[in-house]
Amino acid sequence: MSAPITLRTVTKSYSRGGETLRVLDELDLDMDGGTFYALMGPSGSGKTTLLNLVGGLDHSDSGIIRVGDEDINDLNGTELAQWRAENIGFVFQGFNLLPVLSARENVELPLLLAPLSKAQRREQAERALDLVGLKDRMNHKPRELSGGQEQRVAIARAIASDPKVILADEPTGDLDRDTADAVLAVLQQLNRELDKTILMVTHDPQAASYASKTIHLDKGKLGRIEENHTITGDANNSKEN
Amino acid sequence: MPVRLLLRNLFGHPLRAILTVGSVTIAVFLLCILMAVSRGLDAAVAQASASRLWVQSSVSLFVDLPNAYASKIQSTPGVEDVVRFQWFGGVYQDTSNFFAQFAVDPKKWKDSYPEIEFSEGSLDQWEKSRTGCIIGEDLAARFGWKVGDRVPLIGTIFPRLDGSNWEFDVAGIYHSNSLSIDQMTMFFDFQYLRESQEQNAVGGPGGVGVYLTRLAPNADADDVIAAIETEYENGPQAVRVTTEAEFQRQFITMLGSVPTLLASIGGGVLFAIFFAVLNTMLMAARERTRDIGILKALGFGNGKIGFMLVIESLLICTTGGAVGIFLAKSAERPLWSVVSSQVPGFEISSTVLTLGISLAVGLGILAGIAPALRARNLQPVAALRLGA
Repeated sequence: MSAPITLRTVTKSYSRGGETLRVLDELDLDMDGGTFYALMGPSGSGKTTLLNLVGGLDHSDSGIIRVGDEDINDLNGTELAQWRAENIGFVFQGFNLLPVLSARENVELPLLLAPLSKAQRREQAERALDLVGLKDRMNHKPRELSGGQEQRVAIARAIASDPKVILADEPTGDLDRDTADAVLAVLQQLNRELDKTILMVTHDPQAASYASKTIHLDKGKLGRIEENHTITGDANNSKEN
Repeated sequence: MPVRLLLRNLFGHPLRAILTVGSVTIAVFLLCILMAVSRGLDAAVAQASASRLWVQSSVSLFVDLPNAYASKIQSTPGVEDVVRFQWFGGVYQDTSNFFAQFAVDPKKWKDSYPEIEFSEGSLDQWEKSRTGCIIGEDLAARFGWKVGDRVPLIGTIFPRLDGSNWEFDVAGIYHSNSLSIDQMTMFFDFQYLRESQEQNAVGGPGGVGVYLTRLAPNADADDVIAAIETEYENGPQAVRVTTEAEFQRQFITMLGSVPTLLASIGGGVLFAIFFAVLNTMLMAARERTRDIGILKALGFGNGKIGFMLVIESLLICTTGGAVGIFLAKSAERPLWSVVSSQVPGFEISSTVLTLGISLAVGLGILAGIAPALRARNLQPVAALRLGA
């Protein structure tokens, strides 16, 4: 169920203060399915823009973006939303949980779009929370959880509908080292055990060392792709927080 | 649709939700009352008899007509009978106890109003007593009067010259089967008034306020109106003849264009509350920009998110509307006792209640559309960034 990601001459520009800023410049990139990628580069290099384009949250100006068998540039707004629901799990830096819902209800949210019964949704959400080690906190509201726990709930939400691809934007940016390691270990575990394709934006070399490969972007162009020979972390040794 | 999310959002700000529901409640309550008054006035006009004409001075309703007109009007082809009507304007104890009193010709009056029947006493009892009067059921209930009671009134238009009160004996209590005739009025014998004036015991004008003219069966109202108006075209006092419906309409207009005023107030209330609810819903949606971004990122389409915002607005307005119509129905009896003399048809009917709740539902949908459109136009990335 892994999904390769292919980008061909993808360009994306933004207008700011009357000037056009080209954030991605005819980018070509091939990512294997079932691989954990870290995406690094200086600020403004186009990391988050690339993540948003691959996740269908934004449209490119030109080029081809193919995720699995789907050329997502061909999809309209409604089709893209449906495609996101079925194929993409997002993990954001600021967790982005809905504060009025419990951990389980947050995880259940994407499942509301799937043809599942209430009991099936509940079971699937609890399984996802169990996978990230938070089943015992499933009835807690986000404000009753620590930062690391919130991010793990966000990861559980990202995997609840069993997407092919998980996109993580600085998932450990707001976390301390130990907590960050625990969250990264969970992502690594999802890649290894569930064969998920993971693309994680990070500034942190330590975080990037959990990935199998690191993609370097520079001024909207591909710098290089590195294979990580000494991958950090092991899900069995991840720390609870 | 994430129902739980909808409900949690709804009760996430309890004070705001309560205040918004409260404002809709007040608006719907006021609209129901205004509609009931307006419809009551319309009903009075609609149920007015087609067989009764009113002859009044062409100058104003407040200018009396000569006594001699009665016989001339009576002799007009198509006229079956003529009843003298004189506004008395007496005060019972103090002005806050206002109710209408008319001096009339008892038998002719009763014959002209088949919609009225005696629930207590009789026409015979009334005619036998010089000081006798009949009162409506609602007036009797208001002051606890019954047949045989004596009602003292202070004469204002027709003051007793010795400074004493007028005294009337309740000879009957009437029930009206028509919304055009209220049950809050007192009628007494015109002769009692006239004789008192002839005895120099009472002041006031000596003419007749209006002549109620009953048409003969098959008589053409337009012909009779034209004949009477032509007869007095050159004086001594020109008259204006109207159908009872027109007379009722004129009376309502005399109250100060009440229907227009009510419609204006109702429209104003509705607009004010619409903007208040719209503002609340836009504020609530703006606060949830990040949440909307999250839902979009998770794959929720514009339709589902928009629908959720509209339903939230609808729930607030419908709850307010339901409480509003409940309060309006609860207030029907107390309000009726206050307005029934002017608006005998005042009723918080099922039509009024349906209109009230429909307005609340319409308000909810309209106020929910604006935030739904805003959410639709939000790009997921922009929503997440704006809400961060």
